[in-house]
Amino acid sequence: VHRLRSVDNLFVVVQEFKDYQFKENKEDALKDLEDLVKKLPWTDPLKVWELNNSLKKKKTKRKKHNLQSPASREKLNDGGEEGGADQNNANDQEDCAQNPVAVEPAGGQDTEKPQGVTSRNGVEEEEDNEQSDVKAEVQASSESGTKVGDSQTGEGEAKVLRFRVTCNRAGDKHSFTSNEAARDFGGAVQEHFHWKADMTNFDVEVLLNIHNNEVVVGIALTEESLHRRNITHFGPTTLRSTLAYGMLRLCDPQPTDIIVDPMCGTGAIPIEGAAEWPYCYHIAGDNSPQAVKRAANNICSLLRKNESKDSSTALGIPLDIIQWDICNLPLRTGSVDIVVTDMPFGKRIGSKKKNWDLYPACLMEMGRICTPGTGRAVLLTQDKKCFAKALSRVGHIWRRAQTVWVNVGGLHAAVYLLRRTWERAEERRSFW
Amino acid sequence: KLGHPSELPPEPVPNYEGDEEFLRRLHHVLLEVEVLEGALQCPDSGRRFPISKGVPNMLLTEDEA
Repeated sequence: VHRLRSVDNLFVVVQEFKDYQFKENKEDALKDLEDLVKKLPWTDPLKVWELNNSLKKKKTKRKKHNLQSPASREKLNDGGEEGGADQNNANDQEDCAQNPVAVEPAGGQDTEKPQGVTSRNGVEEEEDNEQSDVKAEVQASSESGTKVGDSQTGEGEAKVLRFRVTCNRAGDKHSFTSNEAARDFGGAVQEHFHWKADMTNFDVEVLLNIHNNEVVVGIALTEESLHRRNITHFGPTTLRSTLAYGMLRLCDPQPTDIIVDPMCGTGAIPIEGAAEWPYCYHIAGDNSPQAVKRAANNICSLLRKNESKDSSTALGIPLDIIQWDICNLPLRTGSVDIVVTDMPFGKRIGSKKKNWDLYPACLMEMGRICTPGTGRAVLLTQDKKCFAKALSRVGHIWRRAQTVWVNVGGLHAAVYLLRRTWERAEERRSFW
Repeated sequence: KLGHPSELPPEPVPNYEGDEEFLRRLHHVLLEVEVLEGALQCPDSGRRFPISKGVPNMLLTEDEA
């Protein structure tokens, strides 16, 4: 589960309240939350959390193994717990559309239970045996560069755990703030478990996610949001790697496909592409020298990460970066399988006015380089009006196949999957 | 052309797909050698595009576009 690439955070759900009625008065509302602590089914989620920790400690640089074991382990079924995936910015739609692999609420869980129990025993055995290949391998921590697990937990429950409560609250009608909720809930947790409260050096992070009338109490399984992996040099509008991954998946890349991001910025999309789809060839380009420089730096960081200790040279990655103009791409007509890019929204980069000319020109040029019939494009933009208009002008080369709504830093954006029609692009009077 | 002039023929020979030695050299030049400083030259126009720190600059000038 940790290896799901389009997930920002993982947590195990302790209890979910679909329609929680908050008392109007702040004190009462908060008191209710405090009382809740005693009533919640903590035992199994905590077991999952422990499991997760022991897995994190075993992180090694070995090759990937199959995902089946951890998936089944997460599905412990007492009291109806589920494993949940969470995105910080309420990217719900994106998650549903792009990530069907996400851990599902396990219905009919009886069959899962014995499996869950035995694999736990398996883990304990493996902890003793260093040589054994650990099936479940947490690469997420290594991708994001965070340190392994929490070395403070030590071995087992005898030690007093440190915890913190993080409250994420969204909605207009609450009588309390997230800080207040976190504080009071935390107080109750402390009384109930006798854990020590520590905001920075904690073992357990209890999550209190409140979205209008929906309350979810969970225990975090990831330390740092996974949305910044693979990028070291950020630009003004660097795309989250998780979103980049989702967009790439939408293209359904096949081995030997040529994938081009003609407005790559810091290179988030091609880098994610080269990391996860190494049998495709990725080409990144941008007209801005700063963007190109940052992208090149990010690529170098990735190369350094891949350096094997035995050989002196790093293993290459199938990715190149070029400085170019999207309206005059130095690529042959019909030579590219996939175009995937984050188009300038017209807010931080470019302007809405410029978009009126840019978007149609982009679509034409992308249509030219893309292979008729089998080619596809996945484009992210917030300037939906402009995009729709531009698209209507190029109906002879692009057809809209799917639209996914996403939330990008609070902006309502859309990801469009386009299919290249069979019609050949006219040979332009181009410079090339 | 990249300091490997003698290794590659000026044009692909017929049935080059089966010529393993040629393919290996071609693979090397295309995918294993990276030009850090140099240029790409258009075979038709002769226009040179500089490469700096591994990144080619293929922006056109005002007149060319």
